[in-house]
Amino acid sequence: MKRAIIIGGGIAGMQTALQLKSQGIESLIVERESELGGKLRDWHVLFPSFTPAADVLSEMRHKIHATGIEILFSAQVADFSATEVRLADGRTLGCDAVVVATGFSLFDAKIKEEYGYGIYDNVFTSADVERMLNEGRVTKADGTTPKRIAFLHCVGSRDEKVCQSHCSKVCCITGVKQAMEMKRLFPDADVFNFYMDIRMFGPGYEELYREAQLKHNIHFVRGRISEAGPTIDGRLQIKAEDTLTGRPLRMSIDMLVLLVGMRANDDNTRFAATTGLQQAPSGFLAPRDLFLSNVKSPVAGIFYAGAVSAPKSIGEVINDGSAAASAVAEYLNA
Amino acid sequence: MSFFAPFCIPFLAGVVVMFVLLLGKWGTWFWHLPAADKQLILRGIPTKYTWRAVKEIVNESLLHRRIFRVNPVLGYMHMSLAFGWFLLIVTGWIETMAHMGVRWVPLQGHVFFRYFSTGLEHKPVFDFVMDLLLLFVLSGVALAWGKRFASRRMGMRRTTKHVLGDRIALSVLWFIFPMRLLAESTTCALYGGGSFLTGGLGDWLADHVGTLALMNLEGVAWWGYSSCLGIFFIALPFSRYMHILTEIPLIFLRHYQLRSGEKEKSFDHFQVEACSRCGICIDPCQLQSVLKINNVQSVYFLRDRRYDRLQLDVADNCLMCGRCAERCPVNIDLNTLRLNSRDTLRNVPDERRYDYFRGIDRSSGNGKVGYFAGCMTLLTPRTMSSMASIFEAAGEEVWWADREGGVCCGRPLKLAGETDSARRMMRYNTELFYKHGITTLVTSCPICLRVFREDYALEGIEILHHSEYILRLLQVGRLKLQSNTRRYTYHDPCELGRGSGIYDQPRAVIEAIGELLEPAHTREDALCCGSSVANTAIDDVGQTAIARSVAKELDATGAETIVTACPLCKKALSRGTQTTIYDLSEIVAGAIVGNHSTTQKK
Repeated sequence: MKRAIIIGGGIAGMQTALQLKSQGIESLIVERESELGGKLRDWHVLFPSFTPAADVLSEMRHKIHATGIEILFSAQVADFSATEVRLADGRTLGCDAVVVATGFSLFDAKIKEEYGYGIYDNVFTSADVERMLNEGRVTKADGTTPKRIAFLHCVGSRDEKVCQSHCSKVCCITGVKQAMEMKRLFPDADVFNFYMDIRMFGPGYEELYREAQLKHNIHFVRGRISEAGPTIDGRLQIKAEDTLTGRPLRMSIDMLVLLVGMRANDDNTRFAATTGLQQAPSGFLAPRDLFLSNVKSPVAGIFYAGAVSAPKSIGEVINDGSAAASAVAEYLNA
Repeated sequence: MSFFAPFCIPFLAGVVVMFVLLLGKWGTWFWHLPAADKQLILRGIPTKYTWRAVKEIVNESLLHRRIFRVNPVLGYMHMSLAFGWFLLIVTGWIETMAHMGVRWVPLQGHVFFRYFSTGLEHKPVFDFVMDLLLLFVLSGVALAWGKRFASRRMGMRRTTKHVLGDRIALSVLWFIFPMRLLAESTTCALYGGGSFLTGGLGDWLADHVGTLALMNLEGVAWWGYSSCLGIFFIALPFSRYMHILTEIPLIFLRHYQLRSGEKEKSFDHFQVEACSRCGICIDPCQLQSVLKINNVQSVYFLRDRRYDRLQLDVADNCLMCGRCAERCPVNIDLNTLRLNSRDTLRNVPDERRYDYFRGIDRSSGNGKVGYFAGCMTLLTPRTMSSMASIFEAAGEEVWWADREGGVCCGRPLKLAGETDSARRMMRYNTELFYKHGITTLVTSCPICLRVFREDYALEGIEILHHSEYILRLLQVGRLKLQSNTRRYTYHDPCELGRGSGIYDQPRAVIEAIGELLEPAHTREDALCCGSSVANTAIDDVGQTAIARSVAKELDATGAETIVTACPLCKKALSRGTQTTIYDLSEIVAGAIVGNHSTTQKK
């Protein structure tokens, strides 16, 4: 019986395992945490439909358990080839194909020190907002209600200054989604989005963007915030330029939300060096080609699923998992 | 006896042309010096500075001590050529006098004395000394050949690419002394005389070459020697060899306190043409060593400026880190020259552009001590909050000049060549400082520090970098730090180290906290972080590549913590390593006895 090892038990890895199973191929998921789900575990609702992330996740987990797919928890992968995965604790797992579904890392907002993340109390990242929404308690650090909230797009994306030149793709729509959630929680608050470009590529996204402006009166300002600082009365002051009017702008706000980008995992460099995989200039793992072999690595028997190869939305990641599974099946049955 | 032969004509023509050109050039430059500079010279002449200048000329123009310090082989090469040639001329002069008594002998009589002195009694001592000196010079020529063909073995990874005039002068220079050897040897072969070198070679020629052939060869050799000298002298004012003579007035003028400034002026000519294009500035340049940019280094900048073909993209492409100036054997003020070239090429003051800051004052607090964060510290707010803790712990009342935003110190604009706009900012800030009556101005940004010290006129206000200020607090006991067992390494910011001479204060502060490890390049030789505001030409990719190479050296020290004392260096180096980079103030604030509020929580 041939077996595939899937590195990473997030959405991509789970979908790959499920599809392999339906095609009669055994797989083993190697997950570094003690449960499945990856980054989706920390997410509240998904754009553009506001579907609870937990719904998606629990259905997938349920299916995995029902099909009895083997999972190895709390296991760190040291390196691998198409026929062998070596764990950090020295164990070696044999296999016939490997699917790399290790996803991405969130950009560390502390690197953009000028925005004051980790320095000022009321600077949050988009991930913090999801966590607060999940906990059901969105407030300022002192527990009070924000009156004015600013979202800043492209933090750690499209920013050569921090060596992240690529677009993280999903932050624009996340900004729209979170701004609407804030507006629902705090109808009296002013909500601003500071952006370079608004990229509404997916189905229903553009409509959501319009709705945010027309129905929720969320303000979109074209211009990046240059710096944030504290004010004497404990608020935050941001400086930006409204590039549509060409004027500098200062604003006192209660909450600054940094829409942090998706960054390539540091592991990618090591994997590329030891396994013969290729990295794109962004650091993500580059598939063999972008069209007919977009879930295959340059090495036979090693496949990619999900955001390990580029920033992707949840829907795209699920498609990727299915595509990777069918590529694995084709490879193993050949 | 007559001191003329037709072969002297090329030499004499060369000498005349050279002196006419030289006096024309120097005369024009002196003529165009501003009145203030002329006064400095007049006042300086009857002082000790004249003697100091003479001493420096002997040390540098003849002995080349500074090159010796950078590279002994190159030093010997320059010394043997310059000092050797000089001694040949002087000894030749004495030799002529020894033979002829004190009487006037035309110039060519001294230079070609061996040719004219065949009928005179030999003086073996002079023969020996002159041969020894010729050998000394020839050893330098041999090294010059070696440098051209195997520069790496001479300790230079790269050597200068030259213009046509240089190539002609250089080629001729290579042959002057071999031709002299041949000419004197053939004369010795025919008429006897000479010592171990010319005499020895003469004997060998006499044994192996027929008399008729020797007589022909003698004519050709003396013509060749004279022609080489003539061509070299004519090429000299157009080539890099102009430095040989221009360094002399430059040294005098420098001792009379003439300096280049942010606007081009006549004194600059002396500096520009005193560049020997030795190329010592190429190797220390990180744009060369990391980014393989090969046409912007000081030697090429000065060359382009001298021949009036300087382009903004060359003038702009420089970190102004000062690593080259630190090594320049002629001590040319490379950064200032580049700065005033940028001013000439770019400065188009826009009168209305900076109107917006007229009258604004966002400063806060009251105190005799002012703190100026500067733009880059506003982008690294941990430094600012750390300074706040330090001020608080020391019980210092502080006037915050720009915590809520302010006007730039002006140095980035000045470095870009927009000197007039920069002056407007300087005027604004000066008024602001005086309005609030501060007596001390502390800044955590070396870029601001430098412009405050060099360009602002802030009488009555002491200007301190935060490293100096913190050290002072420690020394008088106003600040108590908890030392730990961590190992730190320190990156010297260019504007603080080479720019302002502050090397020891930040080190003393770090040593008050933990152990300090030095990276491979340090202090005067420290590397630039790569993100200098002085360079508007390279992109982020290039800046990051330099940052990585610098951070690698810092990481290689084995220290757990990398410290610097410049917000720009901090941001720049953060891009080159996973290790967190701290500003000096952050580790100080974290070590204040009883303070756990700022950096400890990370």
